[in-house]
Amino acid sequence: MEITNFNVLLAVLILVPVVFGVVAYFSPWDKLRSLSIVLCSVIVAAAGILITIEPNNKFELPGSEMIATILEVGIVAVILFIAVKIKNWLIILMSLVQMGVIIAEIILANTGHTVAHTYDFATDPLTKILILITSIVGPIIAVYAIGYMKSHQEHAPPTAASLGQFFFFFIAFLGFMNGLVMANNLKWFSFFWEATTLCSYMLIGQDGGESKKNAERALLINTFGGTAMVIGVLWLVVENKTESFEGLLLAKAVIPMVLLCVAAFTKSALLPFQSWLLGAMIAPTPVSALLHSATMVKAGSYLVLRVTPGFHDSTKVMMVITFIGALTFAGAALLAVTQSNAKRVLAYSTISNLGLVVACAGINTPLAYAAALAIICFHAISKGLLFLCVGRIEQKIGSRDIEDMGGILYRMPVTTSVALIGMMSMLLPPFGMLLSKWMAIEATIRSPLILIFIILGSALTVFFWSKWIGRIQTSSYHPKFNKETMDPAMGFSLVTLALGVLLTGVGSMWIFNKFFAPITREVFASRTDISDVLWNVFTAAGNFAAVTLFVAVGIAFLAYWLLVWRRFKETDVRLPYLCGENAESTVYTTSAFHNSEGTRSYAFRSMGDKIENSWSSTTYLKNFICEKKATIWLNLIAWVIIIILLGEAHLL
Amino acid sequence: MMDKINWTQWIIIAVSLVAAPFIGALISGLDRKVTARMQGRKGPPVIQPFYDIIKLFSKQPIALHKLQILYAFLHLVFMMLVVVLLAMGQDLLMILFAHAFSTICLVLGGMSVRSPYSRIGSMRKIMQMLAYEPILILIIVAIYLQTDSFLASSVMNMPKPMLWSMPLLFLAFLCAVAIKLNKSPFDVSTSHHAHQELIKGITVEYAGPYLGIIEIAHFYETAILFFIIMVFWQTNLYIGFGLETLAFVAILILDNTFSRLTTTWMLKYMWSIPLFLSIANIIWLWSK
Repeated sequence: MEITNFNVLLAVLILVPVVFGVVAYFSPWDKLRSLSIVLCSVIVAAAGILITIEPNNKFELPGSEMIATILEVGIVAVILFIAVKIKNWLIILMSLVQMGVIIAEIILANTGHTVAHTYDFATDPLTKILILITSIVGPIIAVYAIGYMKSHQEHAPPTAASLGQFFFFFIAFLGFMNGLVMANNLKWFSFFWEATTLCSYMLIGQDGGESKKNAERALLINTFGGTAMVIGVLWLVVENKTESFEGLLLAKAVIPMVLLCVAAFTKSALLPFQSWLLGAMIAPTPVSALLHSATMVKAGSYLVLRVTPGFHDSTKVMMVITFIGALTFAGAALLAVTQSNAKRVLAYSTISNLGLVVACAGINTPLAYAAALAIICFHAISKGLLFLCVGRIEQKIGSRDIEDMGGILYRMPVTTSVALIGMMSMLLPPFGMLLSKWMAIEATIRSPLILIFIILGSALTVFFWSKWIGRIQTSSYHPKFNKETMDPAMGFSLVTLALGVLLTGVGSMWIFNKFFAPITREVFASRTDISDVLWNVFTAAGNFAAVTLFVAVGIAFLAYWLLVWRRFKETDVRLPYLCGENAESTVYTTSAFHNSEGTRSYAFRSMGDKIENSWSSTTYLKNFICEKKATIWLNLIAWVIIIILLGEAHLL
Repeated sequence: MMDKINWTQWIIIAVSLVAAPFIGALISGLDRKVTARMQGRKGPPVIQPFYDIIKLFSKQPIALHKLQILYAFLHLVFMMLVVVLLAMGQDLLMILFAHAFSTICLVLGGMSVRSPYSRIGSMRKIMQMLAYEPILILIIVAIYLQTDSFLASSVMNMPKPMLWSMPLLFLAFLCAVAIKLNKSPFDVSTSHHAHQELIKGITVEYAGPYLGIIEIAHFYETAILFFIIMVFWQTNLYIGFGLETLAFVAILILDNTFSRLTTTWMLKYMWSIPLFLSIANIIWLWSK
């Protein structure tokens, strides 16, 4: 084995987080722990960028078969041990099945059943995109976690696990995720897959008590997916005598592909597997940020994008996969509309976007593929940022209810502005998410049923985001904003990610033409079933004059600055019309009023100078949709589709 | 992209940017006149909207806070961008998004102030968007199914009038126009009639020149909507003009025979009859 830049970077990306995680675990001093996290973050980010610049490469590990098998047995044993400890029979059963499958593979290998030998790790454009996300967004969240956990630990329940354990699993997660996206050998892939499941279990259950229950559900659902995956791999080994992604795509083995996709659905928390991701909200906010943006759910969408492009011949299977994605996109957006809990809104929004990625992967055209790539990237940055903001807002105002977030624009202007940037990047031009949604709609145009779901989902997405944006920017007039003090680690992460969102937003069209379009052309180069019309639409999308959007925003801001901002006088300020004299009318310039800034109610004087309080809530369509009932129905439909999917693959 | 625009296109863009608000204002003036006649009144002169704008801009610029005004500017600029993109024959879906952004800015402006009326008006405006937006997207889908392109310029290449292939979508679009122009029974977020329960709804906290900006944006929007109605008979724009007149009268009759109904009703109605009409039309086009 010769040592090249590539091999070193590969090892750094996977091992450095684990090693520094161990340091963080055993460190008796907080300072050393923080230092190791920061160091690890810098190294991983640098290695991530360097490996992207390197040309695509492959790597074979001597004795890899054995190492991978040992690691896999080890990780399944750990999960089995946990399952026995928490006495969850289903997880025990599924771990035993997994163990059995691995043993069967060992027996097969020793009885002369040879499999085609391929390299273990490789990078290609898709991998590189995922590495960039994991190793840049992930470390930023880790740095934020240093600041967050400091104050979290002060209020944490006595059942909470130690900070050392938290940070070990937190940053080791990044290493496992990097390994997962680079693995070509499915044995290695399965190991990393289970490793991320284990990490998420430990992180979700961080605070002990009730969170243990939610962690258990996460473990259950993800182990279910893991079992589907190992069975799929076994099938591939027995039937097609191969155990790599390369071999899977060459053999066009539909059954393993479908089983891998089911595993991906559990990890991406698509309907009907969404409950674990919603339950995961109980964990400290950095964990949510990590699960939603840099790791975990992205692993699922990565897997779908990795395996689907080769299966355009299996039209029906692809159609069913598309349908699950589209249903999740619209269904989760519908459920998000009914939520006033900020974290649940974010969770449903993630599920919805992952659904769109899977739908795009199922459509399997150049434009859809490019849209899926774009969603994965832009969503990772924006969603990471939003979770960090919500975490901070929650620590500050002591509530995660959207209705309590009025007036925070004045109380914490930096965080709120950053949150506004994040939210607007989810739905407004010229940001990347809108761009991707635009492409997704154009890509689905030939399948009307899917299209209807995508359109309804988009409309609902706009609905729940604008409600929230409207709430957090509500404020009264203040001559000056409050000064906000923030933990430096948290401040650094917020500002960096916000800049990332802004820059990728400004450059979204450029990024598309520079990266996503060439990658897509490469992936689809050998495909003959793509008609000229589809390529024309793809090219036309790249030619959109996005510059007009920037000119428009620029003109609006310039005009506003020249005509309003500079000339605005305090004497021009009026109080809102409340159908009576405002109770605050005499005091709105005093400091007492500015410090209170409550927007929960509108106080006005009614009959006989009596001060009345009124309050208008945001619409949650509660009389239309009940979250519980809707979830039951959506899950039912989703299960039916999963069964149809298995049936289409001739598994049933 | 930008370098491909030649002089004629620049002129078209400039002319449409200047002409659109005038056309929109005239349509609004006509609207008020005809409505008045329907109600047995004499009504204001047709150019009353121009007087209104001039008066608004001569007033003191009062506001609740600075952020609110930024949204008024964005609302207007993006409405103008829609005109520019249409004149350039750009991607229809992107034009729709620019239009949606413009509307969302109005909503966010209404929500940024601590006023219950404006907040409720904004909420209802989002509900209105939720009600009509799917229909607008489906119209674009229908155009794509016939031209294999999302470009606005491709519409003009269709050999037959769009109305022939999308009659049901046209009816659904008229409902969408009625919502966009805040005509009864859909005028839930703000209204030209004197409904008391919401005062002036979403724009209640805008005054003076800032309200003037929103009014101008409204003129742009009116012009855009009636332009699109005309394009439904794109092969002969005279007939298109006749179609437009018919639609105008139909919407006014609707406005004057109904009173404001609830937001819930509007959403249920729009997501049932017009949406199903549109989907039926799409399926028909798709299976052709």
